[in-house]
Amino acid sequence: MNERTNFKEILGLLARLAVGGVFVYSGVIKAMSPAEEFAYAIESYKVIGAGPALWAAYAVPWIELYAGLLLAFGIFTRRSALFIAAMLVFFELLLGQAWLRHLPITSCGCFGSAGSNSIGREFMQNLALLVLLWPAARSRRLSADETVGADV
Amino acid sequence: MTIAKNGRLALLAFALIFISTLSVLLARRLNMGPMSPVPAWRTFGPENAAIQIYEFTDFACPACRGASETLTETLRVYGGDIRLRFKHYPLIHIHPWSMHAAAYSDCAGEQGKFTEYAELLFATQENWGEAKEEPAIFGELALKLKLDWPKMQACANSPEAIRRVKLDMAEGDLKGVNATPTFFINGKRSVGGGQLLDKVRNFDNLLGKKR
Repeated sequence: MNERTNFKEILGLLARLAVGGVFVYSGVIKAMSPAEEFAYAIESYKVIGAGPALWAAYAVPWIELYAGLLLAFGIFTRRSALFIAAMLVFFELLLGQAWLRHLPITSCGCFGSAGSNSIGREFMQNLALLVLLWPAARSRRLSADETVGADV
Repeated sequence: MTIAKNGRLALLAFALIFISTLSVLLARRLNMGPMSPVPAWRTFGPENAAIQIYEFTDFACPACRGASETLTETLRVYGGDIRLRFKHYPLIHIHPWSMHAAAYSDCAGEQGKFTEYAELLFATQENWGEAKEEPAIFGELALKLKLDWPKMQACANSPEAIRRVKLDMAEGDLKGVNATPTFFINGKRSVGGGQLLDKVRNFDNLLGKKR
């Protein structure tokens, strides 16, 4: 294995752990808080009503947690990365429309009530995660995929 | 061959999902999650105090009234060593006006008189706790404290005020609160005035001081 390949593998591994870690953290922090709190943040994007927002608030933290874990452990790495990419694109659309409509969003809901950045900062953060997903999706170093020898 | 490999991966995925779900649910039950912020008018004492107390209370509950007196005395004695955060947990299935009382107290808080209004609510709870119709006493107490009653009424009916109370209730549910008053003292649960008093007696040891 030459140096360049080695660098790519390590970069991929770090990217996988970083994106997976962010999703696990985000999922856990929200799953440990009342769903109503996150539902209110979802409502403030003015895309869906209070009822569906509450259902989304029950489901999304767990989906984030599971997707993050699968990516971090390298289980079905490409599919997990693709799924997380789809979620990030969806989050970007939500943030983008809120920004264009000048909605008064006090908490983006990204990491529960523990802290909230401005919409612009969250948008850029998600963009960075999307970029990191490219090497993450190709990473096989220390992954379950590699251990099992699956080509997924 | 590929099917067998994918099967092993799927099994691993299920195991990971199962373990993570169990861990989060357990952490929830053990109250390891963060507490959501409390409005300034319901927060007392310095932020970095050695003793951090979260109190889940219902204004119509007699035990909460007794515990509130214990807490007031405790705050007087330990003052700067305690940070107290007050959270609403109205037991609406047995106290029909608790929710209203909680919202009105927050609206009094917005006008700078949460503590005074809360004390009057506790003191008069027998007069309104089980009333058939909305008690006029809520307004009388506001006027007694020279609060802007029409403003308080508008505030208490606003979605923001109702949401604040409901979020506290949801947080209480998540942390397994099912009786009032419930306290979380440095993360450890105490239910009722007796357990609170037990914990208070240990504050000297906790602070490593002799008073």
